Amino acid sequence: MNDAHSEQDWRAWFAEHGARLRLIARQWTRSDADADDVLQEAFVRFWKHQRHLPGNPNALVVTSIRRAALDLHRRTDRRALREQVVSADAAAVADFAPEADPRLQALASSLPSLSTEQREVVVLKVWGDLTFEQIGAQLEISPNTAASRWRYAMEALRRLVTARTYE
Amino acid sequence: MNNEDHDIESALRRLRPRPPGPAVVSAIGRALDAPAASPSARGVILRWSAGLSAAAAGLLGFLFFTRAPVTAAPEYQLVRAEQPPAAVDVFAPVRLADGSFARPVRVRWSNETQWEDRRTNTRLINYSPSEQFGLIPMETY
Repeated sequence: MNDAHSEQDWRAWFAEHGARLRLIARQWTRSDADADDVLQEAFVRFWKHQRHLPGNPNALVVTSIRRAALDLHRRTDRRALREQVVSADAAAVADFAPEADPRLQALASSLPSLSTEQREVVVLKVWGDLTFEQIGAQLEISPNTAASRWRYAMEALRRLVTARTYE
Repeated sequence: MNNEDHDIESALRRLRPRPPGPAVVSAIGRALDAPAASPSARGVILRWSAGLSAAAAGLLGFLFFTRAPVTAAPEYQLVRAEQPPAAVDVFAPVRLADGSFARPVRVRWSNETQWEDRRTNTRLINYSPSEQFGLIPMETY
């Protein structure tokens, strides 16, 4: 098989993109530890089986993350719901580095307030660099639905940031 | 998408997601450094299966090509031919359609021949049983 990325330094690639990929993994997992496990499994799986494929590897890695997260959910489906609730609160600020700009900090704090559906579209578009078509394929929804969730998310974030900035 | 949405998106892109933990980075580094050092369980099973299959095929080939040569046609010789005395059953007289009488008789016998190949000590036995049924006319006075 021809290796389309034979010259690629994958360690450097992961160092550059690992943070945003971890944020994506966090959207589909119940805890930080699970997100780390999913990211590790997904990236190694991609590297072993798909790194030779042509094109931008980003979408493939995101797909691999999604699959690894679904696999983890199936394996740990009986885990206590308590973990999910606790992690939802704890994840609010911890997903991003602290920001000096109060508006940015307000934005980071507002993201967890979005619905799960809106938040995953936002994360996939901003940090996954995916188009609405690709997001639709990932989430098994139409591109129009993905775009609609994005618009509602932007509107909600605008309201939340405005409120938090002037608190 | 309006300008306000664009502003929000630009601001979002300025946020810095937290990087993965050092354990993840080092684990990925190990996986990238030594891809063949830790094969999956499925890979181990496949490799063992392939190895055992190759060994079995080699053993079969060895046995096939090294076994004792077999000569061409067998050489059978007739060693026995028997026809035991026939068994005769005589039944009670019966009346035929034309009013005459007859006695049913059944005769059973068998032929047996045996050939032998002394080199391979094999024996070929041909046994053929036979039966014949007949009526012996009877005269009445």
